[in-house]
Amino acid sequence: MSEDTFMGVPRNTIDWKPTIDYEKCNYCMECFDFCPHKVFKKQEDDPIKLIVENPLNCVVFCRACSKTCGLDALEFPNKVEVTKKIKETRSGVASGE
Amino acid sequence: MSEKYAVLPCNGLDKCAGQVAREIAQIVCENTENELICPVFYRVSDARYDKIAKENPLLVIDGCATRCASKLAGEKGLKIFRKVTVTEEAQKRGAPLAVAPLRLGAAELALGAELAAELVKAEADDASVDSGVVYPVPEEYIIHKKDKFIFRVPPEGFYFTENDCWVQPVGNRARIGITDFMQQSLSDIMFVTPPTVGATIDQFDEAGTLESGKAVFELVSPVSGKITAVNIPVLNAPELINENPYEKGWIAEIELTNFAEEQEFLLDAAGYLKVLKKKADEYHVGKKQG
Repeated sequence: MSEDTFMGVPRNTIDWKPTIDYEKCNYCMECFDFCPHKVFKKQEDDPIKLIVENPLNCVVFCRACSKTCGLDALEFPNKVEVTKKIKETRSGVASGE
Repeated sequence: MSEKYAVLPCNGLDKCAGQVAREIAQIVCENTENELICPVFYRVSDARYDKIAKENPLLVIDGCATRCASKLAGEKGLKIFRKVTVTEEAQKRGAPLAVAPLRLGAAELALGAELAAELVKAEADDASVDSGVVYPVPEEYIIHKKDKFIFRVPPEGFYFTENDCWVQPVGNRARIGITDFMQQSLSDIMFVTPPTVGATIDQFDEAGTLESGKAVFELVSPVSGKITAVNIPVLNAPELINENPYEKGWIAEIELTNFAEEQEFLLDAAGYLKVLKKKADEYHVGKKQG
């Protein structure tokens, strides 16, 4: 198990990361404080004070940060779609790509 | 089964048995999360009760053999999960109600209380019993030590996801839960929201959540299927998950639909152990830095 794979496929082929809805986000930083994987980055001097800096650090299928967000400002991709994609990628990998 | 039932009594006002049926329904609803359906109102208004009646197992309480409540359920196209007929039960107990007065006396109230207690108990049994499948308890665990932490992994009979969830298949059924590593990462689990019994989920779908002081964790179901039971004791005592997440701390039972194929996407104990070791290392490094 290399550190860049999930379910046997390269992590960078999997689209799984939070997306910040800046219309809703009030920069409370609960998600930043919560996520131990350094997915988010604070930008103190920027009008946009929080960004998704390391999307590939995000644990695939983890949505725990969104549970800390009272404003529902974090969105994740559709799990079923992502799973389907992973399975497809994996069968491609298995068939000798 | 599920956390609540819909209760449909006959509520026959002109017979003692009907009065007892109503009494039973009220006691059952007072002692459970069950929802009461008024048969009189239901007959004239589908909208009021259809959702409750169709989304929950239905408990029918008929007063007498006329079976008005059962018939009403039939008319509404409902499947009866359990039923009881008061006059039959009275007969079994050697105290027929035929000549009993409309106003309930001590004997009738006692009968009502007894039958209600039986129904409440049956419901509790439904919740904790999972189709009679025997899930073997691991005889031993593979242990991974990291600093003061000890992480257990059952060596066989379980499959894992990289999201720290497990499945223990037996025939076409399986239990699902979270791993010892996740249990310890969450620390004291305070609240469990189980998946809905009867719900159909895909592989890697959310199958309930667990909440601790640290985080809310989504159980990522390792398999697809239909939820057939939830572990009611952990709802009242989430610490069972902290004590042993593979045994008394299971979360739900699922009827498997496609395990042979889905198994390819799961890890065995050796595979999960590698993931666990890496996570334990990162987690602890992260802690020291943080």
